Amino acid sequence: MASLEPPAAVTPPSSKPNLLPLPSPTIITPSAAALAAVAPTTSSSSPATLSVATPLPTPSDAELVHIPSYSRWFSLDGISECEIRCLPEFFDSRSPSRNPRAYKYIRDSIIKQFRRNPSSKITFTEVRKTLAADVISIRRVFDFLDAWGLINYSPAALSKPLKWEEKDSKTSQHAADSPAGPSSDSTPPVRETTKWLCGSCKSVCSIACFASDKCDLTLCARCFVRGNYRVGLSSSDFRRVEISDEMKTDWTEKETMQLLEAVMHYGDDWKKVAQHVGGRSEKDCITHFIKLPMGEKLAGSAEFGSGINKLNQMKDDNSSNSSSSGKRLCLSPLADASNPIMAQAAFLSALAGTAVAEAAAQAAVTAVSKVGHGEANAHFRSLHGVQGLQNASITSNGSNKLKSSEEARSGVNTMPEEKVNVEEELRTVAMVQMKHIQEKIIHFEEIDSQIDKEWKQMEQMRDILFYDQLNLLKHERSIRKTGQQAAEGTRAG
Amino acid sequence: MKPLPSTSSKTPVKFRMPTSENLVPIRLDIEVDGQRFKDAFTWNLSDPDSEISVFAKRTQKDLKLPLAFATQIAQSIQTQLTEFRSYQGQEMLTGEKIVPIKLDLRVNHTLIKDQFLWDFNNFDSDPEEFAKTFCNDLGIEDPEVGPAVAFAIREQLYEIAIQSVATARESRNAKKGRRGEYSSISSRSTGAALDLMKLFSNRYSVVRKRKEWDVYEPMVDILSNEEVNALESMEERKPR
Repeated sequence: MASLEPPAAVTPPSSKPNLLPLPSPTIITPSAAALAAVAPTTSSSSPATLSVATPLPTPSDAELVHIPSYSRWFSLDGISECEIRCLPEFFDSRSPSRNPRAYKYIRDSIIKQFRRNPSSKITFTEVRKTLAADVISIRRVFDFLDAWGLINYSPAALSKPLKWEEKDSKTSQHAADSPAGPSSDSTPPVRETTKWLCGSCKSVCSIACFASDKCDLTLCARCFVRGNYRVGLSSSDFRRVEISDEMKTDWTEKETMQLLEAVMHYGDDWKKVAQHVGGRSEKDCITHFIKLPMGEKLAGSAEFGSGINKLNQMKDDNSSNSSSSGKRLCLSPLADASNPIMAQAAFLSALAGTAVAEAAAQAAVTAVSKVGHGEANAHFRSLHGVQGLQNASITSNGSNKLKSSEEARSGVNTMPEEKVNVEEELRTVAMVQMKHIQEKIIHFEEIDSQIDKEWKQMEQMRDILFYDQLNLLKHERSIRKTGQQAAEGTRAG
Repeated sequence: MKPLPSTSSKTPVKFRMPTSENLVPIRLDIEVDGQRFKDAFTWNLSDPDSEISVFAKRTQKDLKLPLAFATQIAQSIQTQLTEFRSYQGQEMLTGEKIVPIKLDLRVNHTLIKDQFLWDFNNFDSDPEEFAKTFCNDLGIEDPEVGPAVAFAIREQLYEIAIQSVATARESRNAKKGRRGEYSSISSRSTGAALDLMKLFSNRYSVVRKRKEWDVYEPMVDILSNEEVNALESMEERKPR
């Protein structure tokens, strides 16, 4: 017994009750339960009748064989137009072995074999072992039957709504002139705007798809190239649809945190950053990082390359509670400072929590005390690593000093006093920065003088060498002269 | 269709399978990494070669064989097809050629032994039809037997065709030397029936002698599992 499924999203009256006379050996009248009617059911008086089954066939009806509605033309009695069109080699009497009789024999045996066990999929190799015919003919017929859902068709397999399925459910109504794809039966047509599913290989299209408006088909790039589309379509009917990855998702908080962590660890190695974030390409990471609210500040203070590292260090140290809004708030008082130093300082102060600063201060107090003009070289070598700590220590020192002074005055911190404290801290931070720059300048000057000295030395060396060269030449010439004289002398004498 | 040559059967004919369909028997016996794959089927020569790789891939996927099989299968098919094609341009001698075909094969649990005569000259013959009728008449249930029988017939016809090509070549060379007389093909004057008689040393009637009945009777045996296993192990030992 075969039954049809109604195409989804189609009004019931249009689906006619189709009688597929299937003189199969086992005829079982369908139980009443199976006839959840969308269309009027047919009586079971005639030996081969059809009924419209429920979208989800009950497992008790093991004898029911389902074929899709667009294959309703099929009949085991004869050969229909569709078959002649799709498999012309059997009907054009070009080859003696391919004739309608052979085709019918192959087709019927394949179908019978499948129907003996309709729940399991039958493979081509099983079929060809049992048929006395050449394997290519068998394969063609098998592919044809498979494509039209006459074999290996089980509704349970089609639970995913494919994009082109919904479109086809409307077109499959009309005669099977243009072969359509399988229509979804049970699930309502859900339009997924973000995902494209290929109609033939049923995989998610990621890079680019090819959509055909002529036949409402969507194919992934691979199927398109392979030519896996139906008869009647050509490659020109397809247009390319690009899918960009950015459209898919936005950056979540977690991903942003991962990105910042990664940047802090790997700095400029965007490959590793992309790896760390997971799921984002390098370009995505870079663009998103730039777009982050503090990105501009960081881009502005480019000379403080190390500053970025320490900045991120602090960011990392802070819990994720420090949301971007908090950062913005703290930035506002000095955000429009023309001096980039001030802006950076303001930023640092906003981020450095007192606890962090105190911990860093313990380690860095000694280093700070060592800072002096005499120790400039040693200091600057470890500048990059320590700078962050120093800043933190300075601020912490500043804040500690302030705190102690506050405590001396009064035990309670009120809001305006805190503001004053913050400003004091900012001033000290700025002073420290300026000191750093001064020291740097001094350091560079020293290097400069060293280079000058070496340059002078090199020049002296050059001069010496030149003198040596001259001497050698002179010597050579004089020897030659004496040699010639001696030679002349011997010749004469 | 080709008319049956009756008297002027000495004229050589282009090589082809002496059946209504020019199908080539292909036998596969591939071993990869200890896995052995044996198969036999018929291939239509007029199909493009692109089908070979498709078929090989399909078979490999359906049977869940490792990937190396696909290329091997395709290669094997290709070599056999080229071999067949190499014979195609040449001529073969046909004539009143009645050949004995012997069936001795085991398909799953069915063992078949049979012998019969086949008219090699009949280019309308159809081994597939024969196999179908054979299975129906003997009530063989295993659907794989039919194609196996057809394949066996085809294979033997193929070998005889190759032989006749060889003899044709010899005869051509020999013609340059002397007029050759070929034993089973020469006598034309008396007609087919008498040829048969001559062939089978029965001069008095066309009916077969009783003692030969057994030979020409089909024998079908259904084996049990153990017998099948025993036979399989014997077969595997033989070629090694």
